[in-house]
Order: sequence, then structure tokens, then C-alpha cells
Amino acid sequence: MNAMPHTTGGNAYNFGFLDEYAKKEIRRAVLKAIAIPGYQVPYASREMPMGRGFGTGGLQLTLALIGPGEVVKVIDQGSDDSVNAVNLRRFIEMTCPGVSTTTRTAEASLIQSRHRIPERPLTPTQILVLQVPYPDPLVVVEPSEDKRKIMHGEADYSRLLVKLYEDIVQFDEITISHRYPTRINGHYVIDPSPIPRWDVPRLDHAAALTLFGAGREKKIYAVPPHTRAEPLAFSDVPFRVEDFRDEAGRRRACARCGCTDSFLDEFSSDAGEKVYQCSDTDWCDEKLLRKESLRGEAA
Amino acid sequence: MMKHECIWLADVQQRVFRELVEAFSRPGEVRDLTPWLDGATAQRAVLATLMDGETTLADPHARLGAADWPLLQARIGTAEDARYVVADGRRAPGFEPALGTLESPESGATLLIEVAAVGSGPLALELAGPGIDGPGIDGRRELRLDGLHPDWLLRRADWTAGFPLGVDILFTDATRIVALPRTTRAAPMGNPPT
Repeated sequence: MNAMPHTTGGNAYNFGFLDEYAKKEIRRAVLKAIAIPGYQVPYASREMPMGRGFGTGGLQLTLALIGPGEVVKVIDQGSDDSVNAVNLRRFIEMTCPGVSTTTRTAEASLIQSRHRIPERPLTPTQILVLQVPYPDPLVVVEPSEDKRKIMHGEADYSRLLVKLYEDIVQFDEITISHRYPTRINGHYVIDPSPIPRWDVPRLDHAAALTLFGAGREKKIYAVPPHTRAEPLAFSDVPFRVEDFRDEAGRRRACARCGCTDSFLDEFSSDAGEKVYQCSDTDWCDEKLLRKESLRGEAA
Repeated sequence: MMKHECIWLADVQQRVFRELVEAFSRPGEVRDLTPWLDGATAQRAVLATLMDGETTLADPHARLGAADWPLLQARIGTAEDARYVVADGRRAPGFEPALGTLESPESGATLLIEVAAVGSGPLALELAGPGIDGPGIDGRRELRLDGLHPDWLLRRADWTAGFPLGVDILFTDATRIVALPRTTRAAPMGNPPT
């Protein structure tokens, strides 16, 4: 054994659940993923005590990265309180004694997320781990993985561009709402996980490292800090993020905190009306808190 | 009971790994491993962190002791085909490391090169450059090294010419590490003092 495991406080599991050999393999894959931005490094994804498709890829990354003293935040659809986020957070708390958890983006050193990049810009001391269901953007145009690997190596994305062009011909715009294909450092095109288009520009020249883990597909890839991340587009049909303007052309605001520059979720009220609210709950809470304290000072 | 050096402890390896993540994420940024070494060299700590029986290691400059191999557990490879190659930076590279393939660029080697000093010394490299930024480098960054045979940089330029093929380098001195992944452009600044 060349890595002595450590269990603390009578915990039956190794720290971080994974055995040290599994962590080493993931760690080697992570370093290669950072060195080859956007390339999907294969790894031996382990069975986790939860179904594949529930974030096991992201979780294995988190567990290979995490250490005592870490402050972890888990997000699902922008919220820390959804079932998936709560389950993953509890699992991390149970298997990583000494690690603390938070819902505050600013306090976290490690953020595991599904479907969102936090609204608050991340800092160089933070790492974002995204859970990925389908890592390969070429799967829609090429069923053979061997052929896709060659296409990726040659940065041959012509068939993907044809697919986007067909979208424009048929619908007058590119209809991909999530998982928007994004070219990293001028070479590999990645599936940036099912984040909305709204979040894609935030990968470009980000201060923080972003790691992507696909447990079922056994792939790890990365966007290092300060790296170009360009959504695929055409010169005459530029990339666009979601439009939150109402019929009158005004930007819709969050019904809760009043924010007009965040990604909004749409709900139906009891009266059947459409209601818009920040999808990033920590962002929304913070705005609301600031608004209330301002109101308190004014009173 | 046999006393283990701390570099074999799981929590030390986790800390060393996080330093490696930072180093590869920010090429040219020097990371100090002193708090985790307890007398071991940075290169040995990195090897302890990354090696096991699933990977291959080559030691063309015979830097490792016979006692290290059973602990590292890595399979012995040649400098031409191993995933990891340990090297002495003062000596010219007398080998052609694996550069990977288009389908599997990750099989390009990681070179663990020991030099006299990382972060100081007569050799000054400009990473990225004016108008060019690169993965991990916001604008430009300067890296100083001491005790690197000039052939390494010439050969590296050839090895990394065909992205995604290439090698990823980790320079170490006694306690510090700095990474030069295959995407980083590195050019000598001015002329080294004679």
C-alpha cells in the first residue's frame, strides 16, 4: 500500500469514501485534463452508492479533490436545497469528517454543481466541479466513439456546424437551450454540461478552474483558468444568451429580490400567472438581504 | 512498527495533489510544497502522490533508489513509452518521450524534471506573451530556472509543436514545483548571463 488510508472518528469509510487507488487514478486524469484543455480524458469510473446520472462523475471528482478544512457547496438547478444537492452534500458530510459545507458561494472553496454556474463570479481560490450526463457534443452527428475521438483530435467539427446550420434554416435560430457546444482554447469542443446558454460566457477566461465529470460515460475534462471558451456560432448568426425581456421589451425582474441581471426561472402562480425568480438561490438571498438592510436603514 | 515518511500518508498526498492542480492550472506559478514534505524532496512527494501499479514510470537518469520502486509500485517503463519520466534537468534529454496520439493525447508523457532552483536563476522564460494569453496565463508570466540544460527547451518546442500531441513538464527543486503543460508557449528572455 503506497498511500496509507486514513479513517477518523470511528468512521467506517476511508476519508472521501473512494479508496486511495481510485483517487490516484482520478487525480492523474485531472492533471492531464487540465494540461489538454477540453479533451475528454477516460478514467475508470467507480460504482458509487447512488445511481449513475445522479452526479456520480462530479462526486468522484469532488472526493478526489477534497481535503480536511475544505468548504463545500453543492448546487442543483441553482439551489442548495433540492433533493440531489441535499443528498450529495449529506454524503460528503458523512464520508469526509472535518469538511464543512456552506450554501454561500463566496465562502466555498469547492463547488459541485448541476445545471448552473453561480451568478457570483468565482475567484482563483475556488474550483467548480460540474456534473455531466453526456460529455461528447459530437454524439449527435457521429455514433462511433472511435471516429469521434479522431474528429476531436483533428478539431474537425464541420458536421456539428452543419447541424447548427440546419437549425438556423429550420427555426431561424440555433435552438440548443442547454449543453451549448463550446470550443476551448481554439481546439476541442466540449459539452459544457446542461448549463443554460446564459452561463456559457462565464467559462470564458474565468478566474477559477472548472472540472467536468461524467460518471456513466467515464470521462473527465477541464477548462483551466484564463482559457478561451467560445460558443460555436456563425459570423452572421452570433451566439445569444436567453432573452428575459417581456412583451414591452423590458427586462423581467426576479419576483423575490428584484434582480434584473440574473438567470430567471419561470413558475406559474396559484392564479395561473407567470412568475419569474432567480435560479441561483444564494444570489437571490444575498440580493434580498441587501435590499432589506437598505430598507431598514431608510426607515 | 515501521515508520512511514509522511509523503505516503493519504492526507499529505491530497495536499500535494491540490498543489499540482494549482501548478498545472497556472503554468509558471511556483508552488512551495515545504509544509507537506517533512524532509522529502518535492519530486519524491509528487511521485508518491501520483504513482501506483496502474501506471508506468521511467527513470533514465537513475535518480530513484532501489527502495523507492516497491513503494511507488509503478510498472517500469522505458523513457520512450512510459507515462511518467523522472529526469535530471542538468543532463540533456537523451530520449524521445511518448507524445500520445490524436485519439489519446493523454498518453503523452509527464516529465518530472529536477533542476537546481525553481523560481530563481539565470534562465528566464517568458510564458505566453504580449497579445497572447493561454490556458492559465492572464497575459504573460515570467519563469526563472536554475540548472536546466538548454536542450530541454529546444526539444520541448519540437515535442509540443503538434497540439494535442505533446508532453507536460513539471519542474521541481528541493521543495518547489512549477508546471509547463503542453499548451504553454515558453521563450527565453534576452540572453542568459555568461
